Amino acid sequence: MGNRIRLAVVSLVVIAAVGYLILTGVKQTGMHYMTVTELARLDHAPQAEGFRLDGVVAPGSVVYDQREPKLKFKMTDGKERIAVVYDGLMPDAFADGREVVVEGAYRHADRALYASKLVTKCPSKYEAKGLGKDRS
Amino acid sequence: MSELGRLALLLGFVCSLFAVGSIAWGLRTGLSGPLRSGRRAVWTVCALALLALILLERALLARDMSYRYVAEHTSRDLPLHYAFTALWAGQEGSLLLWLLILSAYGAVFLFAYRKRLDPFYDAVAMVIATVMVFFTGLLTFVCSPFRILATPPPDGMGLNPLLQDPGMMIHPPILYTGYVGFVVPFAFAMAVLLLNRSGTRWIEEVRRWTLFCWGFLAVGILLGARWAYIELGWGGYWGWDPVENASLMPWLVGTGFLHSVMIEQRRGMLKTWNIALIALTFELSIFGTFLTRSGVLTSVHSFAESNIGPWFLGFILISGTAATALILYRKALLESENRMDAMVSREGSFLFNNVLFVALTFATFLGTTFPVLSEAVTGTKISVSAPFFNRVNVPIALALLLLTGAGPVLSWKRATASVLKRNFVLPTFLGILAVLIALPFGVTGVYSLVCIFGAVFVITTIVMEFARGIQARRSAEAAAGLPVQVAHLVQKNKRRYGGYIVHAGIVVLFVGVLGSSVFQKEAHAPLRNGQALQVGPYTLTLRGVTERQKQNASLTTAILDVQRGGKFVGTEHASKALYTKSQQPMTEVALHSTPMEDLYMILGGVNEDGSASIQAYINPLVSFVWVGGLIMVLGTIIALSDKMRLRREEKSAP
Repeated sequence: MGNRIRLAVVSLVVIAAVGYLILTGVKQTGMHYMTVTELARLDHAPQAEGFRLDGVVAPGSVVYDQREPKLKFKMTDGKERIAVVYDGLMPDAFADGREVVVEGAYRHADRALYASKLVTKCPSKYEAKGLGKDRS
Repeated sequence: MSELGRLALLLGFVCSLFAVGSIAWGLRTGLSGPLRSGRRAVWTVCALALLALILLERALLARDMSYRYVAEHTSRDLPLHYAFTALWAGQEGSLLLWLLILSAYGAVFLFAYRKRLDPFYDAVAMVIATVMVFFTGLLTFVCSPFRILATPPPDGMGLNPLLQDPGMMIHPPILYTGYVGFVVPFAFAMAVLLLNRSGTRWIEEVRRWTLFCWGFLAVGILLGARWAYIELGWGGYWGWDPVENASLMPWLVGTGFLHSVMIEQRRGMLKTWNIALIALTFELSIFGTFLTRSGVLTSVHSFAESNIGPWFLGFILISGTAATALILYRKALLESENRMDAMVSREGSFLFNNVLFVALTFATFLGTTFPVLSEAVTGTKISVSAPFFNRVNVPIALALLLLTGAGPVLSWKRATASVLKRNFVLPTFLGILAVLIALPFGVTGVYSLVCIFGAVFVITTIVMEFARGIQARRSAEAAAGLPVQVAHLVQKNKRRYGGYIVHAGIVVLFVGVLGSSVFQKEAHAPLRNGQALQVGPYTLTLRGVTERQKQNASLTTAILDVQRGGKFVGTEHASKALYTKSQQPMTEVALHSTPMEDLYMILGGVNEDGSASIQAYINPLVSFVWVGGLIMVLGTIIALSDKMRLRREEKSAP
């Protein structure tokens, strides 16, 4: 019986350790996943730093300095806009109107998200809607 | 032709249903007729799936734009080989490939066991056919690849430039071969439960199938990483992206199973646990397909978003519930034959290994689905990404690395103090020595040091195991050279030494991951002709920028002379392609690869003043990741060849 108890203790220790890692991991690296509108309509500085936003690149808002490289654009969900600043090369699929996901720190004073990560969703089908209906 | 394709899939659906029904009837009544027809129906599905696939390929190669799938994923200027591989660029085609591989597994399974008249194998085929019902149904009623457009466009939409890469030609089929293959172990497990079979023969068969798929999945994952490294152009190969995680999860649980199954074979323990692991591996591979294809989570790989998500979730729910119910119903069958004798033993280390693998999978699952879960539980969406996985998964993985060294040299049942001393003193000593050597080189992170210790520790235990094996056979072949002795040793016990070789591959892979994640260097600058950029010991001098037209893209290329420590080592071409059809730019990385480090160069673009923006990374030890993968494959093949030899002996025995 001794071994069963020991086994249970060892397993519990491992589970507790992993649980601890996960909890502190979420606490320290978790980002608030919001819509552009939710973030833009905050009237006070949020307590948390890390944010993740889904949205679309507002057409005409992109300012790209390739030499730095520094990419600035406005992100929109159709209602509100948030400024995004990203220090890095423009991803290949990045363009006006494309869906993007950004992660980074939000500074309420500038109303801007300083992105550490920028992912562009790749359209695998270009304007597939333009193909029209199926033959019935 | 499209009608023929639809018909093939519909017939496939009917045949799958028939196979399930007929075999079930045969098993119930004990009649061999229905069993035989059921088997034939499985063969038929395979032929029909192949027919459907050929018809779709024909349309793709002919660029028959009346097919919606062809118009969506190809264009007339697309090179022929990419038109061929456009089959798995989209959802319907990918699912068709899934179905073909699935039914091929069914057919190969039936062929391999054609001489066994045991109805157990029919039950396995029945479970495989049940999965076929789902996929043929999906392809027939939900997302047919044979949809025809009312007005065919003059040209198609083109293939996503990211998928126009040689890696993408082989990555998906190999990954799918791994993913889909887990259906066979799952079917074995369910058949055992359905027929209430005891005995251990099936567990060896399952081990072999699992090892096979596990190897393919490993290769598939590594090819995906290699593709990301070369095509995505961000300097790395693994970003803890949901789709990457999705392929990793079944692999992790599968790895756990491959270890714990040895305890079952050896000591008749952990039966319930093993069956649960098999079922979990299968569900996770379906879940992976679901994640890749449903667009529930944002990912660089979320190529297609669609309506098939609920179907997959439903399938996972139903098959998962059925598996759980069966396991509970047959509890008596899965009674353990032995108890654990001691924690410090082979069994103990394997159990510990299993707990860690499941924990690793759980953490990965949690991190991947966190936005969905946190919203359901607390109402706010919280998302985690790479930093979370690095914090949580890295320590667990390092614990597993240490176990890789410790587990195999602990004896079964109970490891005595003398065994521990004999096996651990030298590896521990050398490990500490390596850490002391690394310290002055500026390696300070705890995890890095643990990784270095672990790598040396594990490699030493493996070398000692080989040395001991050779020592034991010394008298037999003292005259032969060392390589011959090693080869003979491996041949004597392929499973065991194949396993050690896989472990050695894992160590090499860990070293590669450590080097490329901790010691990466980066530099960037706009360069005019003749100007140079310094990154680490490398000097990149811009020699010029050229423009050139490819078949379906225009290519801007920066020509860079590369010097290392003042010595010229080569001229590299970093490009940016602009695809004509989609007007989509695509970075084509220049890679100067050496065994110890990769120089990774990106052309950001050409500026108004004519200078070229160049970004360069030094990624140390990346080649270790790929070489580690190759060593793992070699070990897997050796371990797999073991059973084939046994099989031959079985055949020759009366």
